Amino acid sequence: MGRSLKKGPHVDLRLLEKVEKLKAKGNRDPIKTWARDCTIIPDFVGLTFLVHNGKLFLKVYATEDMVGHNLGEFSPTRTFRGHTAKSKSSSK
Amino acid sequence: MPRILGVDIPNDKKTHISLRYIYGIGPAMALRLCEQAGVDPLRLAKELNEDDVSRLATILDREYTVEGPLRRQIQQNIARLKDIGSYRGSRHRRNLPCRGQRSKTNARTRKGPRKTVAGKKGVKDK
Repeated sequence: MGRSLKKGPHVDLRLLEKVEKLKAKGNRDPIKTWARDCTIIPDFVGLTFLVHNGKLFLKVYATEDMVGHNLGEFSPTRTFRGHTAKSKSSSK
Repeated sequence: MPRILGVDIPNDKKTHISLRYIYGIGPAMALRLCEQAGVDPLRLAKELNEDDVSRLATILDREYTVEGPLRRQIQQNIARLKDIGSYRGSRHRRNLPCRGQRSKTNARTRKGPRKTVAGKKGVKDK
């Protein structure tokens, strides 16, 4: 939130290169990437990315609505499985 | 009491204060609105004549989103975040803060009143 407009969106250059290559070839293979901070630009729409979350690569299909968000926003890094229901050992 | 845009009935306060009873109008907007409509912001709201009220209403209608439409717009923005499966959307879904605040403690505005869990450290068992 709150990136200076002057700078424009941050796009990972190497990822952009890959996207362009893929578009030139015309296939739709998912692109594996660690660039979670890369903003989704209109060129990315319709492509699938495998975004690293620190452990796994989660599939992110870029849609029109996602433009302007970062890839990392769609690949959660935490797993919350809920709190323990009731621990029988009444410890402390 | 003057009525602007249906339900809002600002009372006998100064105009720029009473305009803030409309959802979506804060201190800055209230003053700007007065200026645009050519109304003295310091005059009491009950002293506004029909003409002033209708002028305020038309400007509001034409140039700004307030009340219902604004509420709807906000809800739509949130729905969009949920829809695209973004992190912020998932935080909205769980009623937790969306802007990176801590939620281990505090965050009471979003989480609501404290729910004490029995058996947790610090909670006295009987």
